[in-house]
Amino acid sequence: MSRSRPPRTPELELYKLPAVFETTLASGLEVVLVEDRRLPLVTARLGFQAGSKFDPEGLAGLSESTSALLTEGTRTRTARRLAEEVAAIGGTLKAESSPDALILSASTLADCLPKMLELMADVARNAVFPPREVALRKQNRRQELLAQRSQAEFLAAEKFVEVVFAPHPYCRQDPTLESIERLSRAGVVAFRERQLAPNNAALILLGALPLRRQTLELVRARFADWTRRRVPLPPAPHFPRPKRSITLVNRPGSVQADIRIGRLAVTRAHADYFPLLAANSILGGSTSSRLFMNIREKKGFAYDAHSAVVPLRDSGVASVITQVRNDVLRPAIEGVLAEMRRLGQRRVGSKELAATKNYLNGVFVIRLETPDGLASQLAGLKLMGLPLSYLRRYGDRVRAVEPERLQAAAAKYFDPEVATIVVVGDREKLLPQLEKFGSVKVEEAR
Amino acid sequence: MPAEFRIPIERFTLSNGLRVILSPDHSTPVATVYLIYGVGARVEERGRTGFAHLFEHMMFQGSKNAPKGTHFKLIEANGGALNGSTHPDFTDYFEVLPSNKLAVALWLEADRMRGLQVNRANLENQRQTVKQERRLAFDNRPYAVAIVERWPQLAFRNWHNSHSIIGSFEDLDGATVADVRRFFQTYYAPNNAVLAVAGDLRPEETRRLVEAYFGDIPAQALPSPPNLTEPPQKAPRTGVHRDPLAQVPAVIVGYPGPTRRTPNYYALVMLDIVLTGGESSRFHQRLVKGRQSVIQYEANLGWPFAGPADYKDPGRYAVFLLHKPAFRSEQIVKQVEEEIRAVARAGLRRRELARARAFLRSNRVRQLQSSRTRAAALGQYELLDGNPDYVNTELDLFLAATPDEIQQAAREWLAPERRSVLEIVPGKKQEGR
Repeated sequence: MSRSRPPRTPELELYKLPAVFETTLASGLEVVLVEDRRLPLVTARLGFQAGSKFDPEGLAGLSESTSALLTEGTRTRTARRLAEEVAAIGGTLKAESSPDALILSASTLADCLPKMLELMADVARNAVFPPREVALRKQNRRQELLAQRSQAEFLAAEKFVEVVFAPHPYCRQDPTLESIERLSRAGVVAFRERQLAPNNAALILLGALPLRRQTLELVRARFADWTRRRVPLPPAPHFPRPKRSITLVNRPGSVQADIRIGRLAVTRAHADYFPLLAANSILGGSTSSRLFMNIREKKGFAYDAHSAVVPLRDSGVASVITQVRNDVLRPAIEGVLAEMRRLGQRRVGSKELAATKNYLNGVFVIRLETPDGLASQLAGLKLMGLPLSYLRRYGDRVRAVEPERLQAAAAKYFDPEVATIVVVGDREKLLPQLEKFGSVKVEEAR
Repeated sequence: MPAEFRIPIERFTLSNGLRVILSPDHSTPVATVYLIYGVGARVEERGRTGFAHLFEHMMFQGSKNAPKGTHFKLIEANGGALNGSTHPDFTDYFEVLPSNKLAVALWLEADRMRGLQVNRANLENQRQTVKQERRLAFDNRPYAVAIVERWPQLAFRNWHNSHSIIGSFEDLDGATVADVRRFFQTYYAPNNAVLAVAGDLRPEETRRLVEAYFGDIPAQALPSPPNLTEPPQKAPRTGVHRDPLAQVPAVIVGYPGPTRRTPNYYALVMLDIVLTGGESSRFHQRLVKGRQSVIQYEANLGWPFAGPADYKDPGRYAVFLLHKPAFRSEQIVKQVEEEIRAVARAGLRRRELARARAFLRSNRVRQLQSSRTRAAALGQYELLDGNPDYVNTELDLFLAATPDEIQQAAREWLAPERRSVLEIVPGKKQEGR
């Protein structure tokens, strides 16, 4: 056994999806059951096509507030009683909203599954949104938004999606002070009525479940009589053509510049997705990526320099994210743009490509290690309209990425010429450096 | 609730003093290597604040057979993820990998425990990276400076406990290559470390690898630890921090905590669950809902750097509360104390205690879902308690805390004269104390 050379190890094994049972109830509710006995737990997701993209004009944050208020009282349970019943079974119950979906997550010790399903169904179907809770939500969300807006990374993320997606509703994923002011109980009730229907939802149950027949009986007992309804179509998937723009959000006193550079990309179903995923991984998807090695480890400009591909149901984003000290803004952006350009112009070597494929396939398995991780992936696929076999085929799709396709994806989605640049920081210190890249639109941090 | 599950533990010590824990679980083909060293920010010397953390960065800058960049590259090219972190009492490193790649992580950890490649260029580079980390995570972020620098200054009197864990720019600038070498030589020895490997592993094979890679790394004479004793707190302390980045007021309320693994430790953790754990807790029901004064809060024994699992005294039980501007911080503190006093006077309701126990029981199972969290718990318990089996046995010790003990914890440990309060005032001007 040599100590001077790294050990040889067998080839990486691809992910093996555990046995998954899928069915659809008469109400249209899709049900996914996964038997997983390693822990005495059941993990659940009830996901709806009800994300922030369904927020009506001027009511940004409605999906988010609906999710927060779902657990604040039902026809038969006050908020307090709900909280106490959840705690009594050692459970968790929480709803959250994303651009595409509203997801109710729950978990409990395995022998309390019936009670957990009862509480989930009650919340999903019978929430009453008490006026007092709506009023408290408005007050607290307003303060939370102020706290969020005091963070540079929040401002950067908010401005970036706005520039990339407008006028599609993906452009606003957080509420505004004005939209919080307009939030009303009637609006929340209407949103629930429109979106939270069984035929617009998927239920994932994973863990130490009873026999399948018994589990299905428990599910039917709580969800079978839920009435199917007509649900609205998502907003038309019309997106602007990517073009270069530079926006500086002025945050006086910032000791660093928060930078986002990127553009509209694709969904997970698109043929370019896997080549783009590999391109992203090489550019900035890991700590051995080019951005990390160059911008951080070589130049010392940043602590965090990475890139990300975020797929949504109807579109997606590819971007570079970094924060650098004020005096190196210009060389840092130049460095990032140069790496983006290089990936589109030069074919990656076979060693770097093989390493990146291993990385993608390895972390994919690691993400699915826990019941929580697997439940979230399964819910995500259902809500993205993708088959669960996606998990089984992921590894082979990564392995099939050819260097030419990767380069083409990089040339398109990490093209510096059409990338949007958003910077948050102190105008006085940053504007002169930023103007070297073109005309800059300056906005004040609200 | 028959929800018990046992984490298997195989434990041995190499002749150089490296303690090793193996915990096999074959349910998914993933394994974690977790290496924890018994050195953290509390051993730092004056003029070298932030050094333990800067040193953690240097651990990724190359070793004899794995030059700069190799650590990241090898782990990731083998499908793994990695990181390290610096705490008051320890520094830890982990690699999570597909299980048939486990040997790579063991080899890398052993190579850097054997010796680092430190030079001025990579020290300078990491100095810049750490300064940028400070700007990102502290200087540009509301509440962070108050929490990480001001709060320890108010809570502790002993410099080892109260100084900044991230460090000042000035001290970071003072760090030399000789400092790095000395620190490594002193603290990064096998007899000051615990290696925990959890997940899909074969114990005999793993043991063979560990012995081959780590077995002949020489032990070092360890210095005696610094004196961390705090003088007893006899009167309340207060401080005000103006935070030019904050827009919403906040307040930190804290009390000196008990010694780890004593009955008071278990009772105080149970009390914390009753007061702050989940939406049925007293703080949520009475402050967020009832009085509508608090917007969000977080609380822990060891906050902000630790929780009950890695808490080590002297430490604090503390609560951070973001509150509505319509309330003054004194009002918030008064409301917090009223909740504590209610328990101190009247004790707990039976069902409330039952809920707290259920909460604890299921949280534990949830927290130990991944090989990484299991390995970390095993490594930390070996290092801090000399007994990794607490991962299986401590639940009963928490559940055994009686209502009287919990009531007494409220009365004695969270008594008003032991209180420290840091008020965080949103404001442009850096004035006041």
